Amino acid sequence: MPFTPEVQQLIQQVEQLSNRPVHVMEETDMKARATVTPARGGAPGHIVRFRPGSPSLDYLVASQLQFLIRSFMCPPAERWDIVSTDAERDAGIEAMGLGDFEVPFARMMIGSIITQLRSYSIGCRVDDWIWKNLPGLREQQEAEIRSQLAENERALKPETRQKFPKPLVDANTSMNALYATLWGERLHETRFVIPFVAMGYRGKVAELRAILDELPDEPANDRIMIERWASVVGLAGSFHFKPYTTD
Amino acid sequence: MPDTPHDIQFPLADFDRSQLPEDQREVQGDDLLQAIREHLIEQFVGQGGAAEVAVTHDRVIIRWKESDKAESLTEQATNYLKQGNSEKGVATLRLALQRNPDDVGALFNLGMALGEAGHAGEALELLQRLVAIEPDYPGAWVALGVAQGRRQLWDASIQSFREAVARHPQDPYAHKNLGAALSQTGQLDEARDHLKAAVVLLPSDAQAWLNLAMNLEQSGVTAEAEIAYQRVITLDPGGHLAEKAEAGRNRITQAKFRKAGGALRQDVLTYCGEALSMFETLPKDEVQRITMEIAMLGAKGFSVNDPSKKYQLRSLPGDFTGLHLLCLEYAGFKIIDPTVDIGFDISAEYAEACRMRGGG
Repeated sequence: MPFTPEVQQLIQQVEQLSNRPVHVMEETDMKARATVTPARGGAPGHIVRFRPGSPSLDYLVASQLQFLIRSFMCPPAERWDIVSTDAERDAGIEAMGLGDFEVPFARMMIGSIITQLRSYSIGCRVDDWIWKNLPGLREQQEAEIRSQLAENERALKPETRQKFPKPLVDANTSMNALYATLWGERLHETRFVIPFVAMGYRGKVAELRAILDELPDEPANDRIMIERWASVVGLAGSFHFKPYTTD
Repeated sequence: MPDTPHDIQFPLADFDRSQLPEDQREVQGDDLLQAIREHLIEQFVGQGGAAEVAVTHDRVIIRWKESDKAESLTEQATNYLKQGNSEKGVATLRLALQRNPDDVGALFNLGMALGEAGHAGEALELLQRLVAIEPDYPGAWVALGVAQGRRQLWDASIQSFREAVARHPQDPYAHKNLGAALSQTGQLDEARDHLKAAVVLLPSDAQAWLNLAMNLEQSGVTAEAEIAYQRVITLDPGGHLAEKAEAGRNRITQAKFRKAGGALRQDVLTYCGEALSMFETLPKDEVQRITMEIAMLGAKGFSVNDPSKKYQLRSLPGDFTGLHLLCLEYAGFKIIDPTVDIGFDISAEYAEACRMRGGG
């Protein structure tokens, strides 16, 4: 097992909560640095794949395991996946201004923004938990956060923003702005948020943050948070929650 | 993560003009570009690195380079305060706290600066937050005690200084301020121990010596008080602390005069006799001119214990001791305005001098 004791404990926790083993696999030629695939459809266990030698592996895996843990902390009947019917997806494409794009591209983009909605909203809880409870991973976490912040800064470039319709850009940038705000405060570097404020996203940040602050940090509320964030960024009606089971 | 460059770019059209100061929101053309540039540069001040901001006709470009060597906002503010630019220092510290409400350096320096500027209430609040966050922050309890003292909260002030002494027994300012606060509330004996500790730790601090001298004087330990007052005069020659020390020495001398009871000071008697003799020969306006010159010269107190003739007058030739001038002043006011109290009682010697000259 190449992971730190903190990550190994998280793996044990996933196994206990889900009653499924976690298989750890090295893959030298995989593109991503680490992935966690939850058990579905009767699969014998969850699978953690990682590229050996990658930086910040412990944090990356811990983060994905914590997503799983939050899910399995809910009673079985309250576990869910996010999915879209065709009608919901079309509504999302319309709402995000993607109607004039090729259908496969538009579908890919709507999938990406819904993924971001889930990963940023619950991700706030996950990152907060890791920061407070796994100080041994803090250095890796900070490096990854800074890397993400830099990537989000690059996404502000005019040539990038011009490629996509404004509703989609605004949805993406609003969530990035909140991310910059939270981490700017935590790292005492508010400069991260300055460009987003300059571009007028302060209001959206306040709305998203109010939801984050109002809802107690309990996994049962994750679904509510996603629904409420979706309303703020214009994605309401673009997806629904489908029960998740390992069977 | 030093020296990592970041390029942040966004469309000029996306810039939210409501971020600009109200009088610049409607400007156009190059003025707008300049306003945006200045606004963004200001936003990046104190962010621990260096920002270059360029605003073109279609985009805003910020090139940001982090650096460990860059001054923090609080360091910049402290430098402004050291340079005497308190307005900018205070504004920068407020910005630092806006960005990080738990910035202990900013809490300390802003608390101190506001206290000195007379904003005792806000200073107190900031310093209370500071000790709650970091109770061992150097100087925090002393600063809090001073702020409480400014609001006459003596019990709280003494408690804070005691906390400072307990946490930092070698902190001279903790002893100095605790001693002063205890003296202020009449707890002279305990105060003296701390004031003595303060002058041991701060042997060149005239204020510390003055605090000790005043305590000793109040406690009736006059011999030691005189030595301490003399130390103040040596450390702060011509300064306002030396004036207070001089006044203290004069009080002690005066007290000794009174303590002597019926015994008259021969030197004072002689000076008074000479004064009466001289003033009898002069017109009243001349007496007034001399007396007023002496009064003005002695406004800050004469060194009545110093036997050296270190004073000169424009209205009279020669060199004079402080005691001699005091006698001239006393005798002069008795002639031009007997109701004036010069603050030094030599009435017995003066009366005897008058009697010897056959006057009243």
